[in-house]
Amino acid sequence: MKRLLLVVLAVLGVFGGAKPIVIGITQIVDHPALNACRDGVIEALRRAGYIEGQNVQYILANAQGDFSVAMTIAQDFLARGVDLVVSIATPTSQAAVQVFKGTNIPVVFAAVTDPVAAGLTGYPNVTGTSDMIDVRADLELLLKIVPGLKKLGQIYNPGEANSAVLTEMTKKAAAELGISLIIVPAEGTAAVPLAAQSLLGRVDAIYCTTDNTVAAALDAVIDVAKRGKIPFLFADPTSLERGVLICTGFDYFDHGLLAGEIVLKVLRGTSPKDIPFVRQAGTQVWFNLDVAEEIGFVFSAEAKKLATGLLFGGRRFVKE
Amino acid sequence: MLLGAAEQGLLYGLMALGVYLSFRVLAFPDLSVDGTFPLGAAVAGMLILRGVNPFLAALAGGGAGLLAGALTGILATRLRIPGLLAGVLTMIMLYSLNLRIMGRPNLSLLGKPSVLSGLAQVLSVPRGYGTLVASGIFCTASAVLLLLFLHTELGGAMRASGQNPDLVRTLGVNPHNLQILGLSISNGLVAFSGALVSQYSGFADVGMGVGTIVAGLASVIVGEILLRPRSLLGAILAVVMGSVVYRLAISVALRYGAALGFTASDLRLLTALVVLGALAAPALRAALKGESP
Repeated sequence: MKRLLLVVLAVLGVFGGAKPIVIGITQIVDHPALNACRDGVIEALRRAGYIEGQNVQYILANAQGDFSVAMTIAQDFLARGVDLVVSIATPTSQAAVQVFKGTNIPVVFAAVTDPVAAGLTGYPNVTGTSDMIDVRADLELLLKIVPGLKKLGQIYNPGEANSAVLTEMTKKAAAELGISLIIVPAEGTAAVPLAAQSLLGRVDAIYCTTDNTVAAALDAVIDVAKRGKIPFLFADPTSLERGVLICTGFDYFDHGLLAGEIVLKVLRGTSPKDIPFVRQAGTQVWFNLDVAEEIGFVFSAEAKKLATGLLFGGRRFVKE
Repeated sequence: MLLGAAEQGLLYGLMALGVYLSFRVLAFPDLSVDGTFPLGAAVAGMLILRGVNPFLAALAGGGAGLLAGALTGILATRLRIPGLLAGVLTMIMLYSLNLRIMGRPNLSLLGKPSVLSGLAQVLSVPRGYGTLVASGIFCTASAVLLLLFLHTELGGAMRASGQNPDLVRTLGVNPHNLQILGLSISNGLVAFSGALVSQYSGFADVGMGVGTIVAGLASVIVGEILLRPRSLLGAILAVVMGSVVYRLAISVALRYGAALGFTASDLRLLTALVVLGALAAPALRAALKGESP
């Protein structure tokens, strides 16, 4: 019976004359985190009954790193008459707002670290989600886990808007917590190995935020951390299996789900101007005990209490 | 779709004119443009946020490009650094410099005064076409100035120096000085283009220069093949037309890619294929008629 009902609904959806909602999703570059974010948005809508090809149609576009194309994509969405835009990452969101400001077509941004600095606030048809991580909490965690932590190393790409914001916050938090911070820039993935090696012997721990360049060349940092037996905290829980000792933060798929929730609110009739942008909550903390053993690092029983879960023997175990 | 491509084609056309000047007139493969394009955006963006008139800000951005271009020229001539390397050095220096100018990687210009909308307002152009007209005015003005310059004695010497530096030397002109001046003007145009594009897109970003040289060269060559110019005026028109065609190719790839079974990640391949199609069309047509191309 239930099945029959579904079939009837589907048929109604296709032939019932109701035009599917058209959603344009624009992202700046192919990147695991940003792709996961996009998939999360689509999944959130699917769970709420928006099935692709029936009552919703997606136009997926990717600027492939070319900033001028971000603008072309937004104009294309406008010309095609999309009903809603999802823009992933800062420059694509800025281009989308530039094209859609003054229209009544909603723009929902995602994976923007600092929406205020990016100029995305104050438009009645724009809202979204921020992927700002809690930098201070990460440093406090490190202080609890790494005995005698005095010098902390950080690698980041000064050309990334999101990363620059987080590095500024790391500087501030480190100063407040009495940690001396050694920052090394890596302007591209090719520069990451050298940047990481420059930290060898100079730091008690390495901390990297959601920097896309570091994420792309993560193995180089992991390699240096293992060789120097340096505890390494990376703000991406999906990187644990690759050999990071401590992973914090959130999964970008979950971030996409959050953005999807906002899209649903808008589709159900709430005006974006009544939805303030939302910061991603729910930070996870993961310890990799395999790596700990490899580099001779010991998580105290106290430290283990702070974890969401542990990885050992190549498998993740969520703590009860 | 046409409107956006035309707007962007004209704005990036300024950049393509700069690349034409270095690549074709001076025969100098100048890679500094990947750094001078965002340099113009950075300088203009910073000034706009401090309340400077957006037109003056764009001019200042162009001015910064003039200096950066002169630097590449000096590196290449006075210090005898090979041209490609001189351009690369300027480009990577500018990356850091642009970050320093902006103070951060991304400046939001959303909702800030823009010279494009400002000009459209002054001229009271019908809504929707303001940006196109303003872009057209900037592009035409720069093209005319460049054309006039290339017809002066100095401009003529510059054209000759690209083809035969020794001939210029026998005329008593130092080809090195001509090269420095030419690269300076070229990068001035590129930076001015970057300043306008940042006002157009609502942001200046340190990463926005990536691919500038590729787009510039593609525009120059596509224009040449499509228009086969015989005069200097024709050559300049061809560059701007090439730039519009290149932007149109991206729009076409975006619009019809999915229907042809391509995915979002195929965009660059598809863009290249559209350009290729446009370039191959005359040869294909000739082949179909049974003539040799």
